[in-house]
Amino acid sequence: MSENAIEELETAAQIIMAPPNIVSNEQRHAAESIFLNFRKSKSPYGLCREILEKCHDQYVMFEAAEVLKEAIIREWSFLLDTDRTSLRQYLMQYITTHNVPHFVRDKILQVIAIMVKRASIDDMGKERGTILQEVENLIVNAEPDKKILGCNIIANLMQEYANTVKSTDVGLPWEVHFKAKKQFEATDLKRIFKFCVYLLSEVVKNDPPYNDIMSQLTRHLLQITERVLTWGYVSPILPKRLIGIYESVYESDQAPALKLSSSWAEIIFSPELIPLMFQIYWKVRDTDELAHHALNCLVQLASLSGGIVSDEEARLKYLHTYLVTFFKLVSSVTIRNKESLGISHIVRKLVIFYIHDFSKLPQSIQDTLLDEFTRLTCHFCEGAVHEESDPESDYFYSDAFDKMLEAWTTILQEFSSSLDENQQSCTMRIFNKYVQCHLAPPDGTRAPDSGGENQVDEDIEDNDRNRYKEQLQTIGMFGRGILNHSLPVLYKILESRIDAFLNHLQMMQHRAMNINEASQLDTIFEDMHWTILISGHVLCMESDGEIPMIPSEVMQYSTNQVNNGATNIDVSVKTILSTETKAGLPDNIDQCDHVIRIVYNILRLCSIEDAAISMKLGHFLSPEVGSTLMWFLNRWCLSYLLPVETFYNEMSPVLLSCLGKDTECARLVVCFILNKIAVNLYSFQSESVLLKDTVKLFSDIVCTKQKSVYIIKMEAMAKLLNLTEQVQPGTLPPNILRGLYKGFILAGACLSNPQESNTYYETVLNPLKVKFKSLTELQNFTSVCHDDKVQKLVIDLLESLIGVARGAQIFSVGILFSFLAPILAELHVFLTVYKDYQVIVQLILELFGQCAKYMLCYLQPLDSKKLYESSLATVQAYAKCNANRLSTETFVEESSCQDLALVLDLLTFILSKDCIDLCAISHEEEITVTASDVSLFGLNFIMPLMTFELLKFPNLCAQFYRLLVLINDIYPEKIANLPQELLTTLLKSIELGLTKFGTDIVQACLDFIQGMASYIFRHQSLDTTFALTLKPFLRLLIDLTLSHQINSDMISGASTTIFTLICCFQEEYQNLVQELIRIQGDPMTAERLAAAFNNLTQNISLNCERLSKLKFRDNFDKFIANVHGFLLVK
Amino acid sequence: MADIDDTHFETGDSGASATYPMQCSALRKNGFVMLKGRPCKIVEMSTSKTGKHGHAKVHLVGIDIFSGKKYEDICPSTHNMDVPHVKREDYQLTDISDDGYLSLMSDNGDLREDLKVPEGDVGTSLRAEYDAGKDILCTVLKSCGEEVVIAVKTNTALDK
Repeated sequence: MSENAIEELETAAQIIMAPPNIVSNEQRHAAESIFLNFRKSKSPYGLCREILEKCHDQYVMFEAAEVLKEAIIREWSFLLDTDRTSLRQYLMQYITTHNVPHFVRDKILQVIAIMVKRASIDDMGKERGTILQEVENLIVNAEPDKKILGCNIIANLMQEYANTVKSTDVGLPWEVHFKAKKQFEATDLKRIFKFCVYLLSEVVKNDPPYNDIMSQLTRHLLQITERVLTWGYVSPILPKRLIGIYESVYESDQAPALKLSSSWAEIIFSPELIPLMFQIYWKVRDTDELAHHALNCLVQLASLSGGIVSDEEARLKYLHTYLVTFFKLVSSVTIRNKESLGISHIVRKLVIFYIHDFSKLPQSIQDTLLDEFTRLTCHFCEGAVHEESDPESDYFYSDAFDKMLEAWTTILQEFSSSLDENQQSCTMRIFNKYVQCHLAPPDGTRAPDSGGENQVDEDIEDNDRNRYKEQLQTIGMFGRGILNHSLPVLYKILESRIDAFLNHLQMMQHRAMNINEASQLDTIFEDMHWTILISGHVLCMESDGEIPMIPSEVMQYSTNQVNNGATNIDVSVKTILSTETKAGLPDNIDQCDHVIRIVYNILRLCSIEDAAISMKLGHFLSPEVGSTLMWFLNRWCLSYLLPVETFYNEMSPVLLSCLGKDTECARLVVCFILNKIAVNLYSFQSESVLLKDTVKLFSDIVCTKQKSVYIIKMEAMAKLLNLTEQVQPGTLPPNILRGLYKGFILAGACLSNPQESNTYYETVLNPLKVKFKSLTELQNFTSVCHDDKVQKLVIDLLESLIGVARGAQIFSVGILFSFLAPILAELHVFLTVYKDYQVIVQLILELFGQCAKYMLCYLQPLDSKKLYESSLATVQAYAKCNANRLSTETFVEESSCQDLALVLDLLTFILSKDCIDLCAISHEEEITVTASDVSLFGLNFIMPLMTFELLKFPNLCAQFYRLLVLINDIYPEKIANLPQELLTTLLKSIELGLTKFGTDIVQACLDFIQGMASYIFRHQSLDTTFALTLKPFLRLLIDLTLSHQINSDMISGASTTIFTLICCFQEEYQNLVQELIRIQGDPMTAERLAAAFNNLTQNISLNCERLSKLKFRDNFDKFIANVHGFLLVK
Repeated sequence: MADIDDTHFETGDSGASATYPMQCSALRKNGFVMLKGRPCKIVEMSTSKTGKHGHAKVHLVGIDIFSGKKYEDICPSTHNMDVPHVKREDYQLTDISDDGYLSLMSDNGDLREDLKVPEGDVGTSLRAEYDAGKDILCTVLKSCGEEVVIAVKTNTALDK
């Protein structure tokens, strides 16, 4: 009988493995179903043993091992102890005596590991101990390939114990997994570690190169040691959810810190361990596959923490040993690129875990520590810049350098009060190295730009200031630690490069550049670009989400300099004033404040750009440098220009005289910058990136009221507005006009006098109003609307209006909305007219979205209603133009997807009015329409357009379901009372969401159902049509979970939803359970299923409350682990 | 770079140019542009530059609005590109002739019978809906002297 079975399987295997041209599809399917049936066989142990012995087909052998695994998990509790033991012994004996392919061997090893783990749960690991003993003997005494096998057994065993949350497919609930892991950790893991360390100490007695066997064995031993050191020693008091997150992070990212209890002290603090591990690394560092694991062990040992290091003496001794051995290594060898990352990890970990202990070490070690860290940092910095100039290169040093800077950030913060001489010199070395690496020879070491003519894709590649943001921030911090060094270095470089640039320009006025000169010009640009970036980071700190301030170190430095006579207020003021006259460096510039001197140079560079443009040499300028200048001015203005004195305890008198409000200097700087913005807008219309930075500079500097009060009154501001209005329609790149108008609107917020503010907004908005009117009053609008000039006008107008909406604030929203409302009310007509011009349709939808996002939350009820009405009219117009439309255009789906995403944005923003409403409450008007009504109504319009095909676009899909859940969260009753037709479509989408898309959508749908069911339960509205429509989801969800169609990560989430549904529909639930039990063919399965269902709800009151819900969730996890074990659902 | 020779078409009705120039940097995604002499809708637009300190270039990917074929071009952002006039008009479908021509009536009652039933799904569904006696609106896309029915829409009571 079994021989027939084996033969049948072998034939089937041959069919499956055959090339596609030999067997037909039917044959293949038949063969597959033979294996599928084989997998479901009951008690297949005898058969599988026979297959392993007799069969020669590797695929069948592999399948047999797989069948064994599944059967053991399913039937473990029914197997007799003797059967278990004999099977395990058989398998052990089998793999030690048979030479099978590695994939069969690995599967069998996994089966053994699972059996050992299951057995250890009953006997507290006694048997496991014996097995390990056998394995250890095997490794020590047996012939080479058996040694490797022994290592494999250990590795597999550890693998089985390592994870707890994701290993439910072994048929055990999580608690049991976790207990088993802890038990294993406390006993045999230590034993394994000691064993490996002992063997490694033998290995190290030999000198490389190792022979094949030796190197394989070493690799296995290192891997196991690494595994022990990267093991997740999770605290048992954490809840399952956190442990789950921990385990998944641990799998995907780097290892957790080595957090051990004091029971490990004897092993870890053994004086030989650290020197041994370093020695091993030293010996194997030439062999990549060994070096990696050995280095990882060292990294882990640098993060030793937990109870084991609570004793200070032991801790310092350990740290001392570690550092001494570490320095011995890094000072004796040159760190190569591949090992640099590991070395930097060691430094980073030492700093994280031991920074407070550094000062307790002997002074000589402390000095060496700073010196070595500095040396490594400089070495990696050089390597990093070298790697980055070569587009083909891997980034080893770059990552290592970033890690070192992270470590330095912590170190500098620790010593933040003041740096001693040694620390200062380290800081200076690193700062100098960084500057040097980014400058061209002779001052620096930057490699010549290899990619001179390469295409740089601006949308894919980040610019330097984003790409190296964190690096630059840390270097800025270094620079602020040594301002008396860093500022002079920076302004000297700037001055020399500006002079060189000027020479170039003067020469170009007379003759054309040769190739050599052109590349020199590029070098100057690159030097200036980096110097400006570094200066910007030294002078200013990142201020995202905070009020930008002058860093206290800079303030202190500037004050000290003037107090001790090194700088002079008058000279500094004159230096700034000289930018107007555009003369060269003023006399006695050496007495100018250093901050001012850098800024002076930046402004001078701006003037030179302007001059070049007027000499018709604009096309030789670097847009990259232009952008960097805009960025610098932005950052610098926010902190330094017109400083708000009350923010500071002490103001530097120089900075105050040069940049304080009411000073001639500050007025000049503001004017200068506004003029520069105008020049860029006028002269660089084709450089969209530069323009974006220019516009950002503008809208950022007018943001702070205390500053914009001055700025708004400048004549240059009126000039800029004038220029903006007179820009030819359709000449600026997208998004520029909106940025400008946002700036103009924001600037107005500083005017507290209503009359002043009205006049100002009138000046800004009136021209827009006139333009719009001129459009609507065109008698033949519908016929001339297709004219390109009219279209350009409409596009620019919409862009400007979007800017207006974006600039709205609580103070200005009233004025702005009364301006916008009549325009918004007409836009649905525009949408219909321009329905075939997607650019315009999308701008209209976006404008509404932006109004809802930036204005709605401040609007009074009456104004809100106006916005609702015009939004709905527009959405309706959109739906009307696109419903029942079938088009032959390519990309039609992508286009609809973009449009609908904008509509969904709009509806979502509208909905948020129901969550956040900041308008001053007025009692005059009744609130008749809520935002969620509007959202639902709008949704109703576009539902017919939301086809299944469109929902396949992940972003749109996520957005759609997010909106549904949000509406449901805020107003479940609105959903409950929807007209039947809309409700059905809605629930249809939810059903689709449960099965057709990714897990995030499943979660959203579960949340939706959960919310609805809770609502029904709370209101006991079980007879409503709504409840009836929701009822089928109970069965659907149970089916989906039983048949593995809901991802195991989501089971916990699904369980609460199922629980709420059960609470609502108890009778249906009982019927469903009975039916599921009835349809089981096998009486034993039916019985087990009945018992499982019984346990599921035992002692749980179906009251929808939190405690019962949590209890149900735990029961459900066990239920699923149990049922998935025996229920063979197809 | 686009061939400049063949980008100027004369439209039959107005005698005006079929295209107008626009600076490359001011073009927008989802707008229209002539690529390799064909009227295209811009589906992708990105900027790049020659060398780090070089000037911006615009990389355009467009789909021929009639054939659906994909065209690409890269062009300095300061250059002017030709933008086609694209017009779409809706017509009421009154009849389908045996040889596959549509009888279409414009808003002002003018009749035309010079356009064929579109190919593919749209054509099939157009015939089916017409046979079912539904009111049908056809969108005719017109640019650079070419005309074709690009979309059909069943006219429900709501739309009237």
